[in-house]
Amino acid sequence: MVVLSRRPAAWVAVVLAAAALLAVGSLRDGGPRTQQDRIEAITGRLACPTCAGESVRVSRAAAAESIRAEVARQVAAGTRSDDEIVGFVAARFGARVLLLPQSSGFDALAWVLPVVVAVLAVAGVVAAFVRWRTAPVAAVATRSRTPRRLATAAAVVLVASGTGLLVARQSGERLAGQSLTGGIEDSTASLLAQARASTFADPAAALALYAEVLALDPDQVEALTYRGWLVWLVARDAEDASLRDRAVAGVLADLERATVLDPAYPDAHCFLGIVRFRHAADAAGAKVALDDCATRNPPSEVRSFVDAIRIEVDAALDG
Amino acid sequence: MRIRALAATTALVVVGLLVVLALVEPPGDATGESPLLGAPAPAVESTTIDDADFSLERRKGSWVVLNFFNSTCVPCIAEHPALMAFAAREASRTDGAELYTIVNDDADDAVRDFFVRRGGDWPKVRDDDGTIAVAFGVARVPETWVIDPAGFVRLRVLGELGSGALEERLDELRAAWSS
Repeated sequence: MVVLSRRPAAWVAVVLAAAALLAVGSLRDGGPRTQQDRIEAITGRLACPTCAGESVRVSRAAAAESIRAEVARQVAAGTRSDDEIVGFVAARFGARVLLLPQSSGFDALAWVLPVVVAVLAVAGVVAAFVRWRTAPVAAVATRSRTPRRLATAAAVVLVASGTGLLVARQSGERLAGQSLTGGIEDSTASLLAQARASTFADPAAALALYAEVLALDPDQVEALTYRGWLVWLVARDAEDASLRDRAVAGVLADLERATVLDPAYPDAHCFLGIVRFRHAADAAGAKVALDDCATRNPPSEVRSFVDAIRIEVDAALDG
Repeated sequence: MRIRALAATTALVVVGLLVVLALVEPPGDATGESPLLGAPAPAVESTTIDDADFSLERRKGSWVVLNFFNSTCVPCIAEHPALMAFAAREASRTDGAELYTIVNDDADDAVRDFFVRRGGDWPKVRDDDGTIAVAFGVARVPETWVIDPAGFVRLRVLGELGSGALEERLDELRAAWSS
């Protein structure tokens, strides 16, 4: 340990400087960039999913052009960071579209292992030189140096691992926002899908989910429509007539508002027609809504019971 | 002794790495896996080649099948009879699935000609800038996706559909949905 013990401060300074430079590099801010800079940087990090060894930035394949267009759209929208956009694409096409190994998980080994091996190799060479120069002395006091050697080895491993992790953080792919849900639109879609799945199994839970969606977006047409429909399914059997009438007034308000907000949405017209006919005995009003429903191609779940009610409505009007 | 110890350590490290590599899940493409499976379907808004509006979230309440297609792709041509049989069966059911072709990197006229020659009257949805393909992570056609009536993605089939395969999988999904 002669060499190290002669200039310990110099060695410590070298290690600290290297660690500091890596830390600064991993946290640095690249400064403002144009949208085109961002598009090129992001597409340069993505591999064309249908070509061998080409990035999305340079590939002319159809899949690469689609991804480029999506990246440009998201950059123009300005709602996602570069890492989040890369994460969005990777979440759909898989990690195979990442040109760089990720900075976390199993991929991080690709960054950490070479650094660890390099640091250990340097440490081994240094140790060999020290041993070579101090061999006669070392032979006398090998036992007394064992704890010191173990401590030195542990320190070297720690430095190697830390350096490897810093390199991984600096150079590896970071995928912030890689999950499929993120942002108000995505969380709304998730809540709506959960609500639809529990409509019949757990109407109370579905109503709570629709209320949550409407708190985020009061004009969300599907939530307005299905909240109204579920409330009607519950209220129609209420024994208290005034309570039932108040509930149905709210239902009709929700459904009529939904048809105004999105006239093309069939379900709102269908349910409006049913409630008008069943509760208000308004066959003429029901027919208008049910005809609107039928011309808008309702989904099979709704169409299956609307068809039967249309026959009843026509019979009531004829009678 | 030192050389033996070094060799043993190296062997242990190599075996450990091999075990880790063996346990890591392979890429899901070959089995039709996707992070979207079990998640809400992406929002899709477009028009058909007949200029009708198409909104995927407005089709909730039906089983929806999206078939990504190109009129020059050989497996797309090969699977067309299977899709025709599927569409005919679903049209005869009250809870029949809705089938949509998603046009991938192709011209309206070419798609129209294809369906005039080979049959198939289901809607063909434009995806001119690849938004729908990227939203579903589709790199190559054909690919077929199934979405349940609540709007969750339930199935991804990579490549050519075999005869009766889609019907079989959809029946399994319907049974699970009803239970």
